[in-house]
Amino acid sequence: MYADNVIGDKLIHKPKFILGLLAVAFLAFFTFNLAGTMFGEFLRPVIGEPKESGLYGRSAVALVLAVLFVGNLFLISFANIKVQVAIVWIELLLLFLAFFYSFNLKFSFIQSKIGFMITQGLFTTLYISAVSIAIASLIAIVGAVAKLSNNGFAYGIASFYTSLFRGLPLLMQVFLIYMGLPQIGYVIDAVPAGIIALSLCYGAYMTEIFRAGIQSVPRGQWEASRSQGFKFGLTMRRIILPQAIPLIIPPTGNQFIAMLKDSSLVSVIGVWELMFLARTLGQKEFRQMEMLITAAFIYWGMTMVLEVIQSRIEKHYRKKGQQ
Amino acid sequence: MRLYTKLIAGAIMASVSSFSPVWAGEALDRVMNKGVLTVATDANWAPQSFLNDNNKMDGFDVDVAKEIARRMGVGIKFVTPSWTIITAGKWAGRWDISVGSMTPTKARGEVLSFPGIYYFTPASFAVQTDSPITDKLQLNGKTICATTASTYELYLQHDLTIDAIGTPPFKYDVTPGKISSMKDTSTCLNDVRLGAGVRVDGMIGSLPALVAAKKAGLPIRVVGTPAFYEPLSVAIDKGDTEFDAKLGKIIAAMHADGTLSKMSMKWYGIDYSAGVK
Repeated sequence: MYADNVIGDKLIHKPKFILGLLAVAFLAFFTFNLAGTMFGEFLRPVIGEPKESGLYGRSAVALVLAVLFVGNLFLISFANIKVQVAIVWIELLLLFLAFFYSFNLKFSFIQSKIGFMITQGLFTTLYISAVSIAIASLIAIVGAVAKLSNNGFAYGIASFYTSLFRGLPLLMQVFLIYMGLPQIGYVIDAVPAGIIALSLCYGAYMTEIFRAGIQSVPRGQWEASRSQGFKFGLTMRRIILPQAIPLIIPPTGNQFIAMLKDSSLVSVIGVWELMFLARTLGQKEFRQMEMLITAAFIYWGMTMVLEVIQSRIEKHYRKKGQQ
Repeated sequence: MRLYTKLIAGAIMASVSSFSPVWAGEALDRVMNKGVLTVATDANWAPQSFLNDNNKMDGFDVDVAKEIARRMGVGIKFVTPSWTIITAGKWAGRWDISVGSMTPTKARGEVLSFPGIYYFTPASFAVQTDSPITDKLQLNGKTICATTASTYELYLQHDLTIDAIGTPPFKYDVTPGKISSMKDTSTCLNDVRLGAGVRVDGMIGSLPALVAAKKAGLPIRVVGTPAFYEPLSVAIDKGDTEFDAKLGKIIAAMHADGTLSKMSMKWYGIDYSAGVK
């Protein structure tokens, strides 16, 4: 966003605002009675047995939390923005971890299973996603060109394709392809079936992204290129795509990240990817929560890596554009 | 562009080679030619079949499947499609046999054939330990959890027909107020453990699975006498009578020489192979 140069007093440094915020936070914490949680446990010396502390315990806990919350905001406001972001991230992460910690997880169980989850689960998830993304990108380029062409036949096929595959739930496509193809004589295994479903579905979404990207290049660019005697292929490669790609990259990165997680849908046809193992490994000892949380962190970690890569690529094109 | 052409060609080649035409019927030939028996079973159903500490398939059904493959003189491979896909039939040669404690119901008999019953299990109701319910009759009108498309769900719907020889008759004692239809037994168990009436009041499942869950530390309690006894069979796709006969012989032999009762003792501590006494 645009940051202007008018420097005013920070909202959080005005006493009225601080008091108002304190009241709102107090009411919010009071509404959810938190005396029975670990916060009540911390305040045991003051309020006594948390369960029997009643209204007094409830308001004491709410007051302490509200003061902590507002005090935290006040202190952070003195740091510069980078430090602020880091502190907020760390605080939210700690809260998140505390939330999981309260589940009473058995960490030795996670330790004994995490190796297999990575070598079998993560590996399968990654290669299914990578192959699907590659095929989906190819489909998307062809589909986008077809949707922009004056050829009624090509446009008909491409628009039917995007309409159909964007119109059905991905889970249903996985089932239809896995169970439907054998009916017409082609028996495919679970992994290829999953890859076909993911590629076709994401190919349809990315077709629309690519089409919009290509269309956003002004008509004058085509006309200038044609007037130089460039043919369609050369115009596309040298003039149009280089201008369209910087616009295509952010939404495409989103699609990559979404696909990584949607690949969990192929677990329904028995592929031993991350989601399947998360559900299966903890079953015998009824430790599903451990496995689900482990898988959650693995997915999140992978997504962060993709986010970093995406922002690098975006930066690269931004620099190129400024030259 | 050369690279793109190569990639497309490669993708097409790869997809064509993984397609293969349906083999018409002759499942036995396929198994013998490949030298591998491909077995479909659940990975989420201890102690029948589950992933053990070494992340390999293990359990009673898995042991039975391995023994069948050994007696056929072929190797073994496990696949884990979902139960609904297995019971839907028309496997198209993706796997040769299901060793998954399947009850031979009439409806399933229309798409699958059942070469041999290898054991009988009681189906029982269970509730959370603190639940006030002490007998299955008290579950009338309550919310009961069952696996989707299982015999347990069919029992709750009063629509269960088992016509295998040796099956004891049963009555529909319990009429649930609402059926909570879940993906597998462990999902039901997880809902039951939350407490009576939180999501469900009780569940119905195979007694061995309930006992195993209790042993694993789940706060559940089995209530009442078993609802019904179900014969459990291996299943194959319809159409190959030779394969059917061969499996029937192998399972009869496994009954006769005590292999099945030994395996049942190992996994359940009770001999379920002999039927109901």
